[in-house]
Amino acid sequence: MYVELKHINKHFGNFKASDDVTVGIEKGKLIGLLGPSGSGKTTILRMIAGLENPDSGEIIIDGKVINDVPASKRGIGFVFQSYALFRYMTVFDNVAFGLKIAKKPANEIKERVHELLELVGLSGLEKRYPSELSGGQRQRVAFARALAPNPQLLLLDEPFAAIDAKVRQELRSWLKGMIQKLGVTSIFVTHDQDEAIEVADEIIITNRGRIEQVGTPYEVYSNPKTAFTASFFGQPSIFKDYSNFRRFDVLENAENAIVRPEFVKVTKKTEVQKYKNSAEEGVVEEVDFRGYGIELRVRVNGVLLTARRSFDQPRIKVGEKVDVFIYRMFVTQGDTATLLENKSLREPVVVI
Amino acid sequence: MSTAIQGGLHRDTKGSKLVRYSLIGISLLFVFLMLILPLITVITEAFKQGFAVYSKAVADDYTIKAILLTLEASFFAVAINTVFGLCAAWSLTKFKFKGKKILATLIDLPVTVSPIIAGLIFLLTFGRQSPIFPLLQDADIKIVFAVPGIVLATIFVTFPFISRELIPVLESQGTDEEEAAALMGAKGFTIFRRITFPHIKWAFLYGVVLCAARAMGEFGAVSVISGHLRGKTNTLPLHVEILFNEFQYVPAFAVASILVMLAILILVARSVIEHKGRKK
Amino acid sequence: MKRKSVVIPGFGLTTGVTLAILSVVVLIPLASLVVFSAQMSASEIIDVITRPRVLSSFKVSFLTAFVASLINAVMGVILAWVLVRYTFPLKRIVDGTIELPFALPTAVAGIALTALTADTGLVGGFFANFGIKIAFTRIGITVALVFIGIPFVVRAVQPVLEKLDPAYEEAAGVLGASRMRIFWKVILPELIPAIFTGFGLAFGRCLGEYGSVVFIAGNMPFETEIAPLIIMSELQEYDYSSATTIALVMLVASFITLFLVNVVQNRNAKILKGGS
Ligand SMILES: Nc1ncnc2c1ncn2[C@@H]1O[C@H](COP(=O)(O)OP(=O)(O)OP(=O)(O)O)[C@@H](O)[C@H]1O
Ligand SMILES: [Mg+2]
Repeated sequence: MYVELKHINKHFGNFKASDDVTVGIEKGKLIGLLGPSGSGKTTILRMIAGLENPDSGEIIIDGKVINDVPASKRGIGFVFQSYALFRYMTVFDNVAFGLKIAKKPANEIKERVHELLELVGLSGLEKRYPSELSGGQRQRVAFARALAPNPQLLLLDEPFAAIDAKVRQELRSWLKGMIQKLGVTSIFVTHDQDEAIEVADEIIITNRGRIEQVGTPYEVYSNPKTAFTASFFGQPSIFKDYSNFRRFDVLENAENAIVRPEFVKVTKKTEVQKYKNSAEEGVVEEVDFRGYGIELRVRVNGVLLTARRSFDQPRIKVGEKVDVFIYRMFVTQGDTATLLENKSLREPVVVI
Repeated sequence: MSTAIQGGLHRDTKGSKLVRYSLIGISLLFVFLMLILPLITVITEAFKQGFAVYSKAVADDYTIKAILLTLEASFFAVAINTVFGLCAAWSLTKFKFKGKKILATLIDLPVTVSPIIAGLIFLLTFGRQSPIFPLLQDADIKIVFAVPGIVLATIFVTFPFISRELIPVLESQGTDEEEAAALMGAKGFTIFRRITFPHIKWAFLYGVVLCAARAMGEFGAVSVISGHLRGKTNTLPLHVEILFNEFQYVPAFAVASILVMLAILILVARSVIEHKGRKK
Repeated sequence: MKRKSVVIPGFGLTTGVTLAILSVVVLIPLASLVVFSAQMSASEIIDVITRPRVLSSFKVSFLTAFVASLINAVMGVILAWVLVRYTFPLKRIVDGTIELPFALPTAVAGIALTALTADTGLVGGFFANFGIKIAFTRIGITVALVFIGIPFVVRAVQPVLEKLDPAYEEAAGVLGASRMRIFWKVILPELIPAIFTGFGLAFGRCLGEYGSVVFIAGNMPFETEIAPLIIMSELQEYDYSSATTIALVMLVASFITLFLVNVVQNRNAKILKGGS
């Protein structure tokens, strides 16, 4: 492990911002730190950077405990959520600042800054001030500035938060490509699940100061281990009692059932459906158009579920009676989540 | 200043025009009578007996000494309050600590204290009835009825002038830039000079101007603590008072005219600085 | 969210210097006032402040400061309104001149206003025709205090007026409210906290004002003698205990004023931040 946090605790007054955080990160990976607002993501990042001291626990980088190493000596590049560009310096001076502090010779600084600005696609804007740049350009400057001293570890706090949706999409893939090219170990904070899934090699999920789960995007999405992770992704419909859905095993002490839209198949009565026999009847309460297709809200056994259909399937109207088949659901018991499959999937199907 | 609003709502009926012109009229009259006319009075009274009398009063030995003392006290007030203002603003805006609110309140306290009381407290602290008076006497240090007392009282009455201009600016700027610089290994002074100071440059200058203005004009506090020793502990405003009370009106107004010119200079500087600061 | 920073240097140094200078210049001297008055008995203190001459000086001080601040509250709103809402020639100069009382030494203001309002002066001569005396009366004191206090109200009201969302008034206008009604029902309520703040600041300043008043007041006991003046004359007679006692009363009065202003200002700040 390149970066390791061991039993980190951090309080702000009485508030526990980090609760026994233990996690490891491999060299060269791009890690997404994902969790709801206030879950302690920024706190973790700032402790790694040395902007905040943990109350207890060890922070280890490259095999060395660095708790007592001052922030400036940790070899870390940090991109602030607000970018924190030096407003009274040009783009060039912003990127050159760290190198000047390190007393690098002037021609070396110049070369490195130009190289970096070329890398981030901002050549020619050296003389501009941050106020004369667009949001995306500012983010690139912040990125270049953090990279200038050749950090071994790059930390980014919500790098896309201040950028509008369209540009954000572009920047995501740009940043992913850039970090892969450079091979620098990176951790970025986000509260946007799509962003984490799209960009990260591995996702660390935080909730209320604790680490809920660590894994590849596929793992954490499709195989959530905790109740929180199961309910965090997708557009879950959550309900208490699933005993009416008879095609699922009944677990003891079950608390919540969680059904994601892709777990649900909604078909018109007239459509052919493979599992027609084991489908339940539902009533459509809402039909909404979305970019990707049509989103339905269907009431089944007294429970309101969200489901999706594509545009090319026959139209469904509000109030229509439909067949609803649920492939699988997560069931939570205390803190853990279990995946249940519809029993019909295991039975031989008789097509009539 | 927003002038955009007038277009839509504020320029239609005859009645509103009448209201507008009478309000502008009242304002101009008030400003002229209360603010401009006193200035003009000072100048006309000063030159009432011609330029020769005027220049004699201004070039008088005591006047020159008063000018020098005023400059001295103002210089120290600005210097100490600069050091204080920068430190206080840095401490209060870059860090979180217990008692911060109380500290901020204490800093603002002196402006609410009457100048006479400001003078009085230094009299009580360093004067004859103070417990430390014997110590001061042994060390041959004179504070009350001497220049150090004047300087202290001047610092007191101008105390928060610089810090209170800086604090809101630094408050709104946050700490991210400084943290970013510190992360890259910049040291305290470099961070202040390269990162923080450009943000507060104009506010700082503004504070200095206000501080200097008040310091030069302070009357009550200095009056209590100075002992009115002509040629020794008389500042310009005190000198004006003495001349006036001796019915030497023309010299009094002549000396006052120096202060009027300084005041106008300060107002101009103030508005230039404010203008530049806003543009940024 | 602001945090206590562990990387920004200079906490010890700057806080230390701040506390050191604050102690020497403000805390110790103010404490010596308390220490000194603690040596006096309660009956001594009551003796001093119930002297008729002292009582009447309090009355003069509070009365003139109150009236002057009231005048300033009205004039301040008019000036702020005119400066924010209208354009007219000389506007920038008028705006800058408002600050004159901050920049002009109070003693200079004092002698200028005295010369102006004395019977021989331009304004004083005019009013003398109607038998009204200004200089050396309470009217004179009030005039000087109006001069001192005007920028406080204007500078308190101006920013609020600038921030006031015009859509608000326009909405009222669209609903057919008359201009007067809009002002009384929509604008004035928004301005009240700011007016109060300006009034309080001006009042606090006027209570303690000395330089501009001492010349124009004439300083007749029971008539035009203000509290700071009594302190001054007690000091000239080396009666430090009387001076300190009177000072203490004035200090408490101005702290109460300031406290009230702070309460209102905090609410006002929330409005300013919350609004447009
Ligand atoms: N300096 C501080 N003082 C008090 N509480 C703090 C401080 N810093 C953080 N907190 C609290 O700690 C918790 C975690 O904060 P943190 O900034 O790490 O959350 P986050 O996951 O980054 O949230 P967001 O997505 O909103 O940025 C929050 O509840 C926050 O209020
Ligand atoms: Mg955060």
